[in-house]
This record gives sequence, structure tokens and C-alpha cells, in this order.
Amino acid sequence: MAEENTSQQQSYGSSGGGGGPRSSGPGGGPGGRPGGPAKRGKRSFVRKKKVCRFCVDKADFIDYKKAEILAPFIQERGKILPRRMTGTCSRHQRWLTVAIKRAQNIALLPFAAEL
Amino acid sequence: MEERLYDLIFICRPDTPEADIDKVITTLEHVATEKGGKIDSVNKWGRKRMAYRVQKLREGYYVYMVIRSSQGEVVKELERRLKVADPVMKYLTVRLDEELKRQDKLKRHRERRAARRPRKTVPAAPPMPGTEPQAAAPTA
Repeated sequence: MAEENTSQQQSYGSSGGGGGPRSSGPGGGPGGRPGGPAKRGKRSFVRKKKVCRFCVDKADFIDYKKAEILAPFIQERGKILPRRMTGTCSRHQRWLTVAIKRAQNIALLPFAAEL
Repeated sequence: MEERLYDLIFICRPDTPEADIDKVITTLEHVATEKGGKIDSVNKWGRKRMAYRVQKLREGYYVYMVIRSSQGEVVKELERRLKVADPVMKYLTVRLDEELKRQDKLKRHRERRAARRPRKTVPAAPPMPGTEPQAAAPTA
């Protein structure tokens, strides 16, 4: 539900600039969401578009030996972060999980946080 | 069988003297050459803190090497040796050549696309009638 909401917001932002095709006013949004915030217009925040870090770097492979690269993609407790949180593209996520698992095997990354 | 490339990392107990670690490395080298493989490089990372405890120890002496061989036997024998060797706590062998091949392929693909891009964008940019002959000139 939250996802849906924000994606609508995004389309608002893009079309709002040029007085876009869907000029639905501040009153009834297209979703017609019941209750509160729809009345007083959209909550004004723009979600930043997440970009795959490895695509930006044009990474052709992900080195399991570099734990400091992999570290941002695991949670405190050692879980691998999902794509929807990190914005990694599917191809790089696939490589990333393999790299993280290899690093775990050789004790460069934890399987689970201790204690 | 074509040649394969492997990464081999092993972790020694942190209290082993340097000489013992060197001994392990030389025996591995012997084994590799005996079985028809080759150790490309040995890199001692030294004492590092491990992400979790292994044999109740928090630190380990990491050694990283790259092995080249066309016989799977080599890796099998090396791993057996590592398992038996006293100072070694943990080891990992990873086959690399497939990934390198993929990396190569992607790189070539990207280069080809980069080479093609300028030609593609120049005629596409001016759809207006007035500018068309000018755009056609550089490509011809």
C-alpha cells in the first residue's frame, strides 16, 4: 500500500511541472484514497530514485574478497539486503549475493552478528 | 581440458610462526606442480580480524593465492592437504575463469556498443527537414 502511494506521488511530481495531462486537482486524487491526507493535497516529498551502485561503476564482476564493498549490502544482523532497499539491479544483485556468500564462508563477512 | 583458474584462500591460526606458514605454502606449491598445476601468485594478507569466531579464535592469518591448472585433481589434492595441515583453520577455493570469461564478454559488448553509439545518434538527432542533408554528410 505504501508502495502504491509513493508511486502515485512520483507521477504527480513529473506531470505537475508542465501542467500535465492528468491535471487532477488537489481535491480527489485518482486513487480516491479514503481519509485524511488526500484532502489537503499530496504529502510533499519526492522519493529519490535509487540507482544500482554497480551499474554506475559499470562493474563487470563483484569481488568477494573486498568485504568493504559488500558490507553496505548486509543488515546489522548479517542478512543480505533486498533489492527494493538498495536499488541494486537484478543482475548485480545476483552477483552480489554470490559474492556475499563466498565472503561469509571465509570469515570476511558474518553469517549472523554475534551475541 | 582447458585451463582453469582458481582462487584459494586459507586462514591459519594467528599464533603460528611465519616459518610454519611458509612451510605450508611451499608444500602446496610442490603439490600443485606435481599434479600438473601452477601457482600464479601468493599473497599474504597477514593477520586479520575474522567476522566470526573460528575454533574460538577471533583473528586469523590470511593467505591468498591464485592457481592455474587443467586438472581438477590439483584442487582436490590441495584441499586435502589444507584439511590435514595443522595451522590451517579454514580454506576456500573458488573457480574464477568462468567469471572472467563473462567479464570479458560484457566488456567487449560494452565497447562495441560504445563504438556504435555515435554513428547511431547523429542521424537520429535532426528529424527536421532543413537539417537533414547536413547530418547525412558526415556518415556518408
